[in-house]
Amino acid sequence: MNHRGGLALIEQTWLSWMQHRSFFFLLAFGWMVPPLIYLFVWSTAAGGGTIGGLTRGEFVAYYLVLIVVNQLTYAQTNWTVGDLIRDGRLSKLLLYPMSPLYNTLATELAGKVVYMIFAIPITAILALVLRPELHLSAGQVIAFISALGLAWLLRFFWGYWLALLAFWITRADSLLALQDALIFLLAGQVAPVALLPGVLKTAAIALPFRYMAGFPVEVLTGQAAGVDLVTGFALQIGWTAAAIMLYLALWRRGVRHFTAIGG
Amino acid sequence: MLQPLRLIRIFIETSVRNETAYNANFWVGLLNSLLNFGTGLLGVIVLFGQIDAVGGWSFGSTLAVLGVYLTVGAVRDLFISPSLDSLTGMDGEVWVGTFDFTLLRPVDTQFLASVRRWRLFALFDLLLGLDVLAAAVTRLGTTLTAIHLITFLVTLAAGTLTLYAILLAFSGLVFWSPGFLFSWVFDGIFQMARYPVRLYPGALRLLLTWIIPVGVITTIPAQALTGELSPVVLIGSLGFSIALLVGASLLFRGGLRRYASASS
Repeated sequence: MNHRGGLALIEQTWLSWMQHRSFFFLLAFGWMVPPLIYLFVWSTAAGGGTIGGLTRGEFVAYYLVLIVVNQLTYAQTNWTVGDLIRDGRLSKLLLYPMSPLYNTLATELAGKVVYMIFAIPITAILALVLRPELHLSAGQVIAFISALGLAWLLRFFWGYWLALLAFWITRADSLLALQDALIFLLAGQVAPVALLPGVLKTAAIALPFRYMAGFPVEVLTGQAAGVDLVTGFALQIGWTAAAIMLYLALWRRGVRHFTAIGG
Repeated sequence: MLQPLRLIRIFIETSVRNETAYNANFWVGLLNSLLNFGTGLLGVIVLFGQIDAVGGWSFGSTLAVLGVYLTVGAVRDLFISPSLDSLTGMDGEVWVGTFDFTLLRPVDTQFLASVRRWRLFALFDLLLGLDVLAAAVTRLGTTLTAIHLITFLVTLAAGTLTLYAILLAFSGLVFWSPGFLFSWVFDGIFQMARYPVRLYPGALRLLLTWIIPVGVITTIPAQALTGELSPVVLIGSLGFSIALLVGASLLFRGGLRRYASASS
């Protein structure tokens, strides 16, 4: 594998993305809106009291962290992988002396930097206005960083294997839309997972989606502690390993199956 | 009067022919509609699983707001957005210069730009929206009088007109800045109309009521349905939507005069 070529590609992609910042700022704005709506709805509903043990300030803190985590783990490149396979541009990438995964990683990293340039100042301003309540310990911060890293890996590879289904199915991108909806419901966007009603809560804990966005936030705000924290990490690591294995298996079969037309 | 209607019929027919050429898109559309409907509904159910009422809004009346949001959104997807969206963006008519051909047609440009593309699949979304509204009415437990129904339909029409006016104004801005995706900004803000404006904090509530009045689009018809609407607000919202429509049309026409085609 050619890692230096990969790094050069990452740098080049980042520079070209910064030329089109306003477009990506708009995308980032769009992703920020759903958690922002539920931030307002839940903090208004909590008022002076508590809901499910959370005060108004704690809801604000939960959702502000979620906005940043969601943008950091959202793998928008998964959408383009399917396009590359469908329209045959993948054949060019296959000729490069490195894995096409680098190409996706380059876009992914470039995107994260551009989105953070937008999301962090906005979240900081919102934090000044809305006065979140957050008590941090060093342990929570360390656990949060590990959970965040795993969440990114999981969301990236989970979306990637879904996108690779484009080798066999023409409209595999609708599965990504389904994934986004499940993340909205089960990954702590519509409500912190602890507040979901019966069946939804059980599904949220068992399925991989909570571990792509909501779980790191719960770790930082201290909602996931003790046994919850340990089982959470175990499930997160398990699902991440499963996603990577699915990616490897589908990639090997898919590339052999792949035939591009023209060129 | 007959000619515009005949034109609309022709536009609908060609749009249907274009859409039915792609079979798979039907299933994708169906999935997206159900996801939009399901996530919206579950959002309200989860919230009211924890509380009984917020800011004077019960489960039933919040459901009514969601119903109006889905209904108005369906009308938007039926023809307003498909038609206006072809103006904007990097591959839009104004950027590429193909807007020349739209200008040359012997009908009013604003009319043509607003009704030329239809997405009949949105009728399914409309059905889902009306379903939610019906569920909201049964939940509310109040008997629906004829007056409530009439004021509801009037405010719903005013809300739809307001939505059209805002979208037209945003599309008109394309003549000042051809590449910028104004409709994306609006998409984000419009999502906030899923919930009553009362649930948002002060400054944002003012923004959603007066600056980009998406709150008016959904909250007021829902209030009409629950019978909480005062006559002043009813007349005010009607006048407001008409004023907005006139303003947006003037902006669009002003923009048209700036259009200088694209070089090469």
